[in-house]
Amino acid sequence: MGSKTSLSKALVRRETISGYLFMLPCLFFFLTFVIYPMFMCVFTSFFDSNMGKNTTDVFIGLANYRELFSDRIFLGALRNTFVIVLVSVPVVMVFSLWVASAIYDMPMVLTSAFRCIFYLPVVTGSVAVTVVWKWMYNNYYGIFNFLGKNLGLIDKNINWLGDEKYALWCIILILLTTSVGQPIVLYVSALGNVDKTLIEAAEVDGANRSQVFRNVKWPQIMPTTLYILIITMINSFQCFALIQLLTSGGPNHSTDTIMYYIYYTAFKLYRYGYGNAMGVVLMIIIAVLSAVQFKLGSSDN
Amino acid sequence: MLGKKSKLTRTVELTVIAILALLFLFPLYWIITGSFKTPQEVNSVVPVWWPYEWTLRNWKTLFSKLKAPVFEVMIPFSQYFSSDGLPIVMLKGVTGPAAIRWIINTVWMAVASMVLTCLTAGLAGYALAKKRFVGRRIVFTLIVCAMALPKQVILIPLIREMSALRLYNTMNAVIFPIVGWPFGVFLIKQFAEGIPDGILEAARIDGAGELQTFKTIVFPMIKPGIGALAIFTFISSWNDYFMQLIMLSSTNNLTISLGIAKMQAENSTDFGLIMAGAALAALPIITVFIIFQKYFTKGITMGAVKG
Amino acid sequence: MRKTTALLLALVMVISLAACAAPAGTETAAGTEAAAGTEAAVETAADTKASEITLWTYPIGGWGNAETVDSLMADFKAATGISVKVEYLDYTNGDDQVNTAIEGKSAPDLIMEGPERLVANWGAKGYMADIADLWDDEDRKEVNSACQAACFTADGKCFEYPVVMTAHCMAVNYTALEKAGKADLVNKDTHTWTTQQFKYAVAALYAAGNDPVAAIFCGGQGGDQGTRAIINNMYGGTFTNAEHNAYTADSAENIKALEELQAMDGISFDASIVGGDEINLFRQGILKMAFCWNIAQQLNEDNNAAGLTNDGDEIVFMSFPAEDGNAKLCGGIWGFGIFDNGDAGKIEAAKEFIRYFCEGEGTEPAVKAAQYFAARTGVHGRDLSGIWSDNAIMNEYNKLMPYLGDYYQVTGGWAEARTAWWNMLQAVGSGASVADSVKTFCETANAAAK
Repeated sequence: MGSKTSLSKALVRRETISGYLFMLPCLFFFLTFVIYPMFMCVFTSFFDSNMGKNTTDVFIGLANYRELFSDRIFLGALRNTFVIVLVSVPVVMVFSLWVASAIYDMPMVLTSAFRCIFYLPVVTGSVAVTVVWKWMYNNYYGIFNFLGKNLGLIDKNINWLGDEKYALWCIILILLTTSVGQPIVLYVSALGNVDKTLIEAAEVDGANRSQVFRNVKWPQIMPTTLYILIITMINSFQCFALIQLLTSGGPNHSTDTIMYYIYYTAFKLYRYGYGNAMGVVLMIIIAVLSAVQFKLGSSDN
Repeated sequence: MLGKKSKLTRTVELTVIAILALLFLFPLYWIITGSFKTPQEVNSVVPVWWPYEWTLRNWKTLFSKLKAPVFEVMIPFSQYFSSDGLPIVMLKGVTGPAAIRWIINTVWMAVASMVLTCLTAGLAGYALAKKRFVGRRIVFTLIVCAMALPKQVILIPLIREMSALRLYNTMNAVIFPIVGWPFGVFLIKQFAEGIPDGILEAARIDGAGELQTFKTIVFPMIKPGIGALAIFTFISSWNDYFMQLIMLSSTNNLTISLGIAKMQAENSTDFGLIMAGAALAALPIITVFIIFQKYFTKGITMGAVKG
Repeated sequence: MRKTTALLLALVMVISLAACAAPAGTETAAGTEAAAGTEAAVETAADTKASEITLWTYPIGGWGNAETVDSLMADFKAATGISVKVEYLDYTNGDDQVNTAIEGKSAPDLIMEGPERLVANWGAKGYMADIADLWDDEDRKEVNSACQAACFTADGKCFEYPVVMTAHCMAVNYTALEKAGKADLVNKDTHTWTTQQFKYAVAALYAAGNDPVAAIFCGGQGGDQGTRAIINNMYGGTFTNAEHNAYTADSAENIKALEELQAMDGISFDASIVGGDEINLFRQGILKMAFCWNIAQQLNEDNNAAGLTNDGDEIVFMSFPAEDGNAKLCGGIWGFGIFDNGDAGKIEAAKEFIRYFCEGEGTEPAVKAAQYFAARTGVHGRDLSGIWSDNAIMNEYNKLMPYLGDYYQVTGGWAEARTAWWNMLQAVGSGASVADSVKTFCETANAAAK
């Protein structure tokens, strides 16, 4: 970066032209299909914009936003979204770290077999995965009710997806199985890269297993942990397919997330401006959380 | 190394993980066996762990239910001058099972997204890392900000935009937003930053053109990054259910995920048929994954280390 | 050097835009010809007919079955030269699909469903073309008057031409009831019963070890008429007022019915299933009563002979229970409407389609395919009354038709009201207070009705 001062004016111009030419294809897609709609999302959120051929958008200022914070369903969706994030992120982190540290020093074949198996639900895709889970949760002939009754855990069929008490947790369980694959792969490789000599040195000094982990391994896998934290968080915020395919936000809005509620507002209630306002709120929340994490990450390094 | 942990804890740990692994395998096992079961077996209150009589009924229904030409090639830009605003078909394959068409659509969508993303991100990532152009900081900030946002929030404006551009209900409507997503640029930039300025300088002094420099010097050095990005884009676009759901509507244009979801909605309790569809959706990508497993894990790891 | 860069960029654009992009529509047997729009000159002229149109249809009897529809479309093409691309919707995602298509400006030319969607929703929002000019005096005489009332708006516009109709009812697993020793509660001749008899039947089936006996399915979308009909009829409540401008589901009669259902052993409010699931569970013998029933279900022989469950139990269709036994059944009306996509040629071709199937030579096959009753007594003098004369089940089912009640599904804000209805049932199923839940429902629905 030090070379900046030495650049002449002509060189700057040359660099700018060639730089933008290199950027052009990317900028074309980025500006047209990400930035422009994002701008429109913010813009329309100040309008009362509905479906209808002969309706025109009416500017209503912040009315959509004011309505949002008195909309019980939206607040419920916000709460559900946070429950999903707050439950799934720590569970995914702990579970994947545990599995990874158990399998990373096994014989190569076993390690890669396990890694592969835990990654399977990710490649299988949410639609195919939900097909099976929908059957497992089925009220009338699902496997959970069958096993539960036969093992004496429950005495009456439980309507897993049809009962407010369980539906959100059922969704979270599936989300977990589809979320741990990538973190496990990452942790396995991060643990494999931990400097062996440091571990041995610590053991020579008489450190026990947990001390080795805390003082040697943990600091070295910290960057991986941060990365996993961020991707898991973003993934959990984006949980949509499971809900759309399994519960449509029901029963009684108990599995609505903001993501699903935006879709619902747009295509079931036909209120585009209102839906966009929700999108803006979600953008702000995620931006703030990401900024906090970036800050934490950079101060750590 | 085994000696370091007590043998007992080790065994217990291994057993628990093996059981968990079986649970993770279960959905796949159930999809595949389920696709060969009779309706009575699939819907039996007592689970049928292994089909008594293997039947092809579900697969037959899957392949006979809906028909579509197995592929269609459109004249580029034809939607802008055709009389009804739809692209004009240049070449059309024989009519076959719609499920085959969905697979072909999905492969095309994932490959096109992958190639375009790698191309645009490769060029742009290099420029961002190594070119000192005016406005670079602003572009970079924009990219970082956009990266953290869930793309679903822009669904409503995006649909309107796609319809204005006459792209709605075409594969391009799914591909373009994926290509526009800036994660790739960010990733490649991290890789390209490792290129020593001296080599580029030397190439310039030798009189190498910009593109030549990119081809001979930059590309080989960011190749691992491109590989990681390619894998990442392929999987994520294959499974990007949301974008497909809102952008594609006609049976001919569905992806396999959407096709299965549609079948599930139409025959919600014909689990056998749905399992066959799910197996068809899952098996190709799982095969690809197992063959390229080494590259997948490498790609994912690389993406994380640099991203 | 810059030239090569530019060339590369141009290449990228072309590759991306050349990317596979297909026009809407599944291939039908009739539509295998060249793609749309090659005869641009013909199509731009405003009053010439388009040679290809698209039809989206919900699964209305055989109209959801590609083979049946293909042969209908082939006949239509032979008669008129117009080919039709057909797309099949389902009740779970169909509405969202149409709405995204409308928002994406690629709505189909023709759509097949009932007035609650075509007239009260898309018609009211201004997306449908007025087809009042298709009606002459003879049509007015021949088409069932309830159907006419539902298809026309108050200001005389018509957004749907009806082709078939039916009355929705419920069904009972008669064999199971016999085993429970209470077969006498069901009158197989009149097919009607009282609320008291219905309650005894549920109790008897429940006592015989069936839990649940029946499900108030509330997962969403299709089949809502069944849930409304059971609740409205038990104590004579109504869903809307007679003028069709306000929702009245919060009346004392409805609250009483809902509270009883909520407390009744054997009735489960199930948010994990939709109407189609309920039918299947009933066919599989898991549920012993179905609320989402009609003649097409009674005729269905996919898994067993018509009128039998998969295990061979006898299915008896019944009117919904009412205190005096005289229920007001919910009507089902299905027909075609035209989306106004601004192309006069397409609209003209779509009208040709309607003339052919609703008041022309295609009417009998269209009705037969749908497996419902014709919406008119004759086609310009050609009598239709004998259309099902050879079908004993249809004739038996005809006994229910006199109980057809008010077609209230055209009340304003219907789509929003339906969504709110499911939420209300889910809330009641979760144990919420019935009075509060129906009150919330009526507030939401009435706000949308304005």
